[in-house]
Amino acid sequence: MVQSSVMKQSLVFDQLSCRLQVEGLPDVSIGQSGAALGIITGWSLQWVGRPLLEGRREHLQALMQVVLPYARHLISGVRRDFSIAGEPVDIGPHPEGGHRLLLRSSQPDTPPLEMHLDDAELADLVRVLDLLRLDPRIQLPLDLPEPEPLGPRELLERIPLHRRLTAPLGGAAALAVSAALVLLLPPPAVPPTPQAPAPQAAPEAPRP
Amino acid sequence: MAKDTSEAANPDRPSSPLPRRGLERLDLMLLCMEALDLNGGEAMVWMSEQLGYGGLFPNRVELWKRRCHNPLRRTCRRGEVPVDETDALIRILCVMADRLYPMLRSLLSSSEPEAVASERWALFQGRLLELVQERMNPRRSGVQKLLDPTDGAAQRLQLVQGLSLCAGHGGFERIKASLMDAVA
Repeated sequence: MVQSSVMKQSLVFDQLSCRLQVEGLPDVSIGQSGAALGIITGWSLQWVGRPLLEGRREHLQALMQVVLPYARHLISGVRRDFSIAGEPVDIGPHPEGGHRLLLRSSQPDTPPLEMHLDDAELADLVRVLDLLRLDPRIQLPLDLPEPEPLGPRELLERIPLHRRLTAPLGGAAALAVSAALVLLLPPPAVPPTPQAPAPQAAPEAPRP
Repeated sequence: MAKDTSEAANPDRPSSPLPRRGLERLDLMLLCMEALDLNGGEAMVWMSEQLGYGGLFPNRVELWKRRCHNPLRRTCRRGEVPVDETDALIRILCVMADRLYPMLRSLLSSSEPEAVASERWALFQGRLLELVQERMNPRRSGVQKLLDPTDGAAQRLQLVQGLSLCAGHGGFERIKASLMDAVA
C-alpha cells in the first residue's frame, strides 16, 4: 500500500499483529523519482496492544540487523542473544519462553522498553521486515548481513551446557575411578629369585 | 514484485549441493506442509508448475524421487541432488509456507485459547506422525526420536517455527543457509 503527498512517500506493510509504516522521499540528487524511496525520514511500528515504536532510519536498520540474524539462527535451532555494541536494539530468548526485544531510547531519562513476543509475533515482525527489504521501491542500501551456514561450534550452542559436559565429565570420572582402583590393587608378589650356585673351583689340571 | 534474492542475485556466493542432513530437514519440512494441507502433495506439483519448474519436476514421480534422497526414508536414494533442483524444492517450500502462513501462525500463537491451540496441535501432530510412519524408516534413530511423544515434540515445534520464519520470498536465503549448516 502506498500513500503519497507530492514527493513524500509512505509505505505500509501489514501483518496480523503488527504494521510497519515507512516514510521517505525519492533521492532526486541521484535521479530518483516517482514511487522510489531513497531517503527514509521516519518509520513507525504498531503492535496490537503495545506502545507505538517510532524512529529514524538508523533505528530501523539496527532493528533489522538483529532481528533477521536472530530468525536465521532460530531456524537452525540456535537460541542466543543478538545485539550490536552501541546500537539501540537487542533481541534474545525470553527466560519464560518466547522472545525478548529490548529497545533503548535515544532520549535521556527514558528507560529501555522490553517487549515479550511469542513465536507468532516474531514471525510477523520478520515478515514485515522482509517485505520492506525486498520492496523494489526501497532504493537505498540497508547494509544487512547475508544469511550464512552455521559452523559446528555455533550449532553446539543449541545443546545445553550441562548436556554438552555430561559425556566428557562422565568419561573423565570413569577413567579416574578406574585408575584409583588399579592403584589399590596389591602389587603382585615377586617370586624369590633362585640363589646363584657358588662358582665351583675349576678342576685342577692333571699334572704331567 | 519482490526483489530477486536467488543465487542469480548473489553471483559471488559459491553454490554447493545440500548435505544429507540438509536434505533430511528439507524433506521433513515438506512433510509438515503435507500434514497442514490435506492436498499438500497435489499443491506441491501445482506450485512447481506455477513457479516454472515443470522442466525439473515434470511429474509427481520426479518430485518424489528428489525427496527420496532423505536418508530417513524407507526407500532412500543415494547421491547428491543438483543445486538447481534443491533450490527449486526450497522455493516451493517457501511459497507453500507463505500460502499456509495463517495456519503456521495459529499453531505458534500464544494468544489463542488453550483448548483450541492444543486441539490444533493434536490434529497437526497426528497427521504428521501418520505420514512419518508411512514413509520413513522406523529403524532410524532420527525417526524414532521424531515419533516419540515427548522427545519429538520439541523437534516438531522447531520445524513449524522454521517454516513460519522461511515463509515468502524473503525466507529463501535464510532457510537455504540453515539447510547448509555443518554437522554438529
